[in-house]
Amino acid sequence: MNPIIDLTAVSIDRSGERVVRYVDLTAIEGSWFGLIGANGSGKTSLLRALAGRLPFASGSCRIDGVEMIADRLARATHFGFSPPADTLPDGLRGREVLELVGGDIETMWPRLGPLREALGLDALLDRWIGDCSAGMRQRITVALAFAQGHTRVILDEPFNWLDPVAAFDLRQALRAMVNNGLTLMTALHDLGTLAVACDSGIMLAGGNVAMGLDSRLLETAAQDPQAFERQTIDRLRAASAP
Amino acid sequence: MSLIAGERAGPAARLFRYDRRIAANVARATFSGWHDRLIAATMLLFALAAARSWLLDRTWPIAAWTIFGAGVMIGLTAGRRIAVRLAFHTFDGPLAADALCPALRKRYLIAWFAIGLTLLAIFTVIARPSLLIAILPGYLIGSVVGHVTGSLSLAGFGAGKAGLGRMLRSWIQRPGAGIVAAAILLLSLAFAAQYLRGDALVVVAGIETALSGLALTIVDDGSVRFQTIAGRGAWHIIGRQARGAMLFVGIATPVCAVAFGPAFAAVVAATSIGALLLMVLRTLAYRIHGKGFADFIVSILTGLLILTAFSMPILLPFVGIAILWQFQRRSAARTWLLA
Repeated sequence: MNPIIDLTAVSIDRSGERVVRYVDLTAIEGSWFGLIGANGSGKTSLLRALAGRLPFASGSCRIDGVEMIADRLARATHFGFSPPADTLPDGLRGREVLELVGGDIETMWPRLGPLREALGLDALLDRWIGDCSAGMRQRITVALAFAQGHTRVILDEPFNWLDPVAAFDLRQALRAMVNNGLTLMTALHDLGTLAVACDSGIMLAGGNVAMGLDSRLLETAAQDPQAFERQTIDRLRAASAP
Repeated sequence: MSLIAGERAGPAARLFRYDRRIAANVARATFSGWHDRLIAATMLLFALAAARSWLLDRTWPIAAWTIFGAGVMIGLTAGRRIAVRLAFHTFDGPLAADALCPALRKRYLIAWFAIGLTLLAIFTVIARPSLLIAILPGYLIGSVVGHVTGSLSLAGFGAGKAGLGRMLRSWIQRPGAGIVAAAILLLSLAFAAQYLRGDALVVVAGIETALSGLALTIVDDGSVRFQTIAGRGAWHIIGRQARGAMLFVGIATPVCAVAFGPAFAAVVAATSIGALLLMVLRTLAYRIHGKGFADFIVSILTGLLILTAFSMPILLPFVGIAILWQFQRRSAARTWLLA
């Protein structure tokens, strides 16, 4: 059980406001770490900062035991990250954007493993991104996070816009990759996926950790998802109450 | 088939290749038919011929000041756009690690600025080679200022200082900004009049008015789109955005006429009206298209208007009205619509 991401008391500012406050979290190598929380609770900011897209305002961010709180480039290099689907350029084809990021498509397929089929990427290669639906764009952005062969990947709400079959296939593929050593960190809104697929996580509310979700709690949650849902919603309501 | 066959692998130029590929694809799609390419080539030739003719007809100092001002403006625009694009790559792009790496950022900047420099140099060699000495420094100064100011206003995007840029943009759109800009123009002209005379001072007035006019008519595409969806009509949005520029022209033109002469007033009025017209075009275009395509269309139409102004000035009002009418007709249908 090797902790590869260790955040201690990290804070993040956006537009002059503190949106994440003194958050602690530890992610273990070869596990799936889930973040849940209400809209605006700081999930995306936390994931972006971890992936170097935003600076941390304070705290400690140790990755593989190395302090990287002030080094955005090192963090960005360490993690695969899926950009927001709506920011993909309309003027590229699926193949082009994947190859520009990950190199030749044939050498990229092994890096994507089961995602190639789960995301239905072959059908998207020759399609203009401008002609893609939101779900198709989402598939491409998920693939982009893996295109460079990272073994630590951050996905921000990867199941958004996917149809039920695609969401199921993606979840299975990601879980299989985690079982093979991938370290995955995702923001989620779906408590079912959190309970079934994740190994650990945290619940954020108002930029603070409202609840830690360890493996034992999530195992229990997987056995009784309804009770877990009720408990989680109660916590979220209490944390967001004025 | 590999997309980047023939291009060097590795991350060194990946950021630049990413944007160059998008630009090439958009250009290919826009000029997909032979008649599109023919029209574009004809317009380009006409524009070059008109610019060459105009520059050759002027005395060297006037031509040099004009081309210097044009170089500054082009550099400012290029510098700012590149800063915005780099900020996008850092925050939202799939190649953020490259965009955060100082060495790769530098190569990206050099590549795009060098393309701008080369294009301007080619244009100047065709138009009037002796003006290279004026346009290149202008472009370089504009690029540096545009990039530095663009980067500074974006630096706080993620770090909590975005409010400063937003506050500045918001302030610029207030009527008071027009009064301040007019005061700055008049005071600086009074100061410059001690050292410059005649045509040179008129050119300075034109450049200053163009800078103020463009600053006062900044259009936020997101804001236009939101107001459109919320049901605001085009002219309501335009009227609100134009308050500062209208006050600027309303104050600067009569004061210039009295203090410096009718030629100055004409230059200030014409340049301000040009900036306002550009703002109207951009606002209407943002109601119809996404930002990238809207900017492209507006730049084509602006070129067409400039070309008409040079070659057939009598037709300019008709061409301008026809373009505005067409844009207004199409944009009116967009109110309340979520495209």
